[in-house]
Amino acid sequence: MTESLGKATITVTIPGEVDGRRVRVGCDVAAIDEVQESLATFGDRYLRKVFTASEISDCEGRNQVPRLAARFAAKEAVIKAFAEPDMPFPWREMEVTRDGPLPLLRLSGTLAERAQHQGWLSSSLSLSHADCHAMAVVVVVCSPVE
Amino acid sequence: MHNQIREVLAAHGRMAVDPHEVDDQADLYELGLTSHASVDVMLALEDEFDIEFPEEVLKKSTFASVHNIAQVVEGLVKLSA
Repeated sequence: MTESLGKATITVTIPGEVDGRRVRVGCDVAAIDEVQESLATFGDRYLRKVFTASEISDCEGRNQVPRLAARFAAKEAVIKAFAEPDMPFPWREMEVTRDGPLPLLRLSGTLAERAQHQGWLSSSLSLSHADCHAMAVVVVVCSPVE
Repeated sequence: MHNQIREVLAAHGRMAVDPHEVDDQADLYELGLTSHASVDVMLALEDEFDIEFPEEVLKKSTFASVHNIAQVVEGLVKLSA
């Protein structure tokens, strides 16, 4: 932290932790018309490549496309929270599930192992969409820095 | 192969520029390729070259340039031959 008493300027580097626990955030937006076009062009191949069977089932119905777009945004948000852009990110190892009205993040396979290695303890996920875009934010609390 | 890749990018990449005009090493994300569009590019490349992208190559850098895409596709084409 630096202070300049003459101009009363204070600069603070905010620590990325709370009570010693590291906090990570990821966010992303996805264009709904892009998801619509992918579905129209590649159909089930697109669905099966990106989404789990559970996600595909959860998104069925009138709002299928914005729901899928929000889940895609969630997966990209999770990738950002990992902050390791060069590691592989199998989309289906990142799954959005539901606990009543709340979306939850479930990791599996190599990403679950990676999260464990990074000290991920808990996560909170929020999804939203408008006519044109869907978005997601994920907050991850990690174990304290050793 | 590079021309085929550029054709796929033109059809599915939703980029802000004509992919036929970009350098092999140019950063495609900087030129407008989105993460979601890269899914379409991947699926179209699978169709074009009769290959399947395994999970270990599903990383940002794979689609970051025509050069990178070509390297990965060449490897997968050899594997499937």
